[in-house]
Amino acid sequence: MIINNAETILSVQELNASIDDTQILNGFDITVKAGEIHAIMGPNGSGKSTLAYSIAGHPKYSVTGGSVTLDGVDVLEMSVDERAKAGLFLAMQYPVEVPGVSVSNFLRTAATALRGEAPKVRTWVGEVKEAMSKLSIDPAFSERSVNEGFSGGEKKRHEILQMELLKPKIAILDETDSGLDIDALRIVANGVNKLKSKDNAVLVITHYQRLLDYIVPDFVHVLIDGKIVKSGTKELAYELEEKGYDWIKEELV
Amino acid sequence: MIRLFKNSKISWTQVETGSSITWKYPGCVLVGDNSQGEFYSVALTNNYQQTDTGSKMSHVGKNTRSRIVSKGISAGNSKNTYRGLVTVNRKAIGARNYSQCDSMLIGDLCGANTFPYIEVGNKSATVEHEASTSKIGEEQLFYFLSRGIDSEEAVSMIINGFVRDVFMHLPMEFAVEATKLLGLKLEGSVG
Repeated sequence: MIINNAETILSVQELNASIDDTQILNGFDITVKAGEIHAIMGPNGSGKSTLAYSIAGHPKYSVTGGSVTLDGVDVLEMSVDERAKAGLFLAMQYPVEVPGVSVSNFLRTAATALRGEAPKVRTWVGEVKEAMSKLSIDPAFSERSVNEGFSGGEKKRHEILQMELLKPKIAILDETDSGLDIDALRIVANGVNKLKSKDNAVLVITHYQRLLDYIVPDFVHVLIDGKIVKSGTKELAYELEEKGYDWIKEELV
Repeated sequence: MIRLFKNSKISWTQVETGSSITWKYPGCVLVGDNSQGEFYSVALTNNYQQTDTGSKMSHVGKNTRSRIVSKGISAGNSKNTYRGLVTVNRKAIGARNYSQCDSMLIGDLCGANTFPYIEVGNKSATVEHEASTSKIGEEQLFYFLSRGIDSEEAVSMIINGFVRDVFMHLPMEFAVEATKLLGLKLEGSVG
């Protein structure tokens, strides 16, 4: 939802980022205000994942210029865990397996880190149960090792479960729709929608318009060659679905 | 060396964070028929420590069974070596052994080796050995950090996950202590 005079949550200005000395982002700009949902769409190799990872601070990606602020505070100066504590959350496209670390242990440790104190056992158990049932996750899930042997849908649901419990100010969803069947997609999208409030914001990175039927964006941006070349409303997403990205590239020339 | 007689069983669990140089090869001689030996081990080395340890299982009696699960963690400039010996005598009909050796490296200055010695004297024996070496992944670490967990806690959780197969054989109080001990020993090993 677009709110008048809403506060800016995430502001990215002239961001340049590279991986292995190859520059991927070329002066990327975006301003996300409280309550808004932004979608970033773009063809393969346009820099979508680089954007997500550079904001989150992955060591493989180096930011070579520009600025990123969260609630007005410089994010690029922060370590990765400080960024999370500041309210940034990245739902990953390919979350990694961690053998021997149970989901319940992982969730509780993360919640403890972000809230500054360990959640009370009594309320915590209920909180996790409720969040899991919203996402149709089997309770036995919490005793499994983090992402180990999870199906594609389970991995994504686990990401959204964390988002639900950690309650970020800004959530970046990196191709959360990839590898999901239509039912799982609906469950995941519902989870995101329920979490959405006038105080937080979501940045959805996706290839396809399909996810945007369920998570309806206020703004759609087209990312090509590391910068936003066109912005619009959700109609732009339908146009892209129909015509592909080539017409925009042609417009640019 | 421990000798096991008919139908007896021993399960051995150890955690060592040890001295500067450690050589240790505890063993079981499975003399009696149907006797069983199990050995679960976690060895952690840091700084310039060196360990060369492993378990010996000698199968003498019929249908004897043994199992070795060894987890090595190396940090700093340390070297962590597993050197195990499994022997199956000519008359140890139906003997079975399963060995699993996993090594984890923290940083890029340490090393891990696995030397499984296996001597089998009869055709009916089944001897299995599995080994793996992995490095604490940048991706795993990033995943934890991106959820607000700091790097020391993250490493400690990943390591404790890695050794869980062994720690679950420890009595609860000892397991809690061992978990803390690993954390202490690894303090400052990740930048």
